[in-house]
Amino acid sequence: MVKEAASGTTSLVSRQIVVEGEISGEENLHVDGRVKGSIRLAGDLFVGANGVVEAEVEARNIVIQGVLTGKVLARVQLEVQTAGCFNGESTAGSYEIRDGAVFEGISKMLNRSRRPGKLQPIVSPPETQK
Amino acid sequence: MGLFSKTEPGPAPQGGSQRTGSESGFFGAKLGVKGKISGGGNLIVMGRLEGECDLNGDLVLAPSAAATGEIKAVTITVSGNVTGNLAARERVHLEKTAVVNGRIATPRLSMVDGADFNGEVEMKKPPEGPSAPEPSADVSGRIAPPRLSMVDGADFNGEVEMKKPPEGPSAPKPSGKK
Repeated sequence: MVKEAASGTTSLVSRQIVVEGEISGEENLHVDGRVKGSIRLAGDLFVGANGVVEAEVEARNIVIQGVLTGKVLARVQLEVQTAGCFNGESTAGSYEIRDGAVFEGISKMLNRSRRPGKLQPIVSPPETQK
Repeated sequence: MGLFSKTEPGPAPQGGSQRTGSESGFFGAKLGVKGKISGGGNLIVMGRLEGECDLNGDLVLAPSAAATGEIKAVTITVSGNVTGNLAARERVHLEKTAVVNGRIATPRLSMVDGADFNGEVEMKKPPEGPSAPEPSADVSGRIAPPRLSMVDGADFNGEVEMKKPPEGPSAPKPSGKK
């Protein structure tokens, strides 16, 4: 899966740390503490079970186990896990919301070309003969 | 929202820099943080830090770190660049690669030869410091050497101006003041 970014370092805002302001960078970020403000990442944002984020977020994937409030953009996917709670406005390439997760707010799809109705044929076209 | 209004009770363990109970945060080399960092636990910074940091734990600024602003922690170890003020409740240590421009306020200070420091030092002894060794040196005033090292236990209050020799290989660009 793309969700667990295999490349790049992952920074950690540990449980007792509070950041108020702007976080930006090329890497992944795991938040177990609190962040208020804005987060812009080339990599993924992972909000751990103890993490509380109240911010405007832009990241590749956003995975929520804790609480995320704000306006977010997940360039690939937004995932709210079972104990996770999202509240706000989100735009994402795709969504995964697990059973038990809380999602309150607005969701928009990033890729408008993937509309419902444009279904792919289930049967693959016959192979061309040589 | 009141999410951030309540402060963590966080009973910070006292004494020594080995706070085994607290976990360490880590800001990688390609991460920049602008604003205010507070709370407990230890923190290792390898990237950019701009603003205020008030940590109830140990702070390490790695060689790749560049920090500007007000930095407070229990202990501060600098290997990177700092422009601003450092205030430690226990100690400050400047590694060989450290470049610090600003003011240091700490009860204990040590500095490895090669560290670059320009600024003022204020060493305030805690009211009763049983762990603090008797100072082996006690200097007050202004010193302007090209190189300076300082062992933990030495006591210095005053100003430091480090002028690199002109042909120093690692000498940074000389400032306008000659």
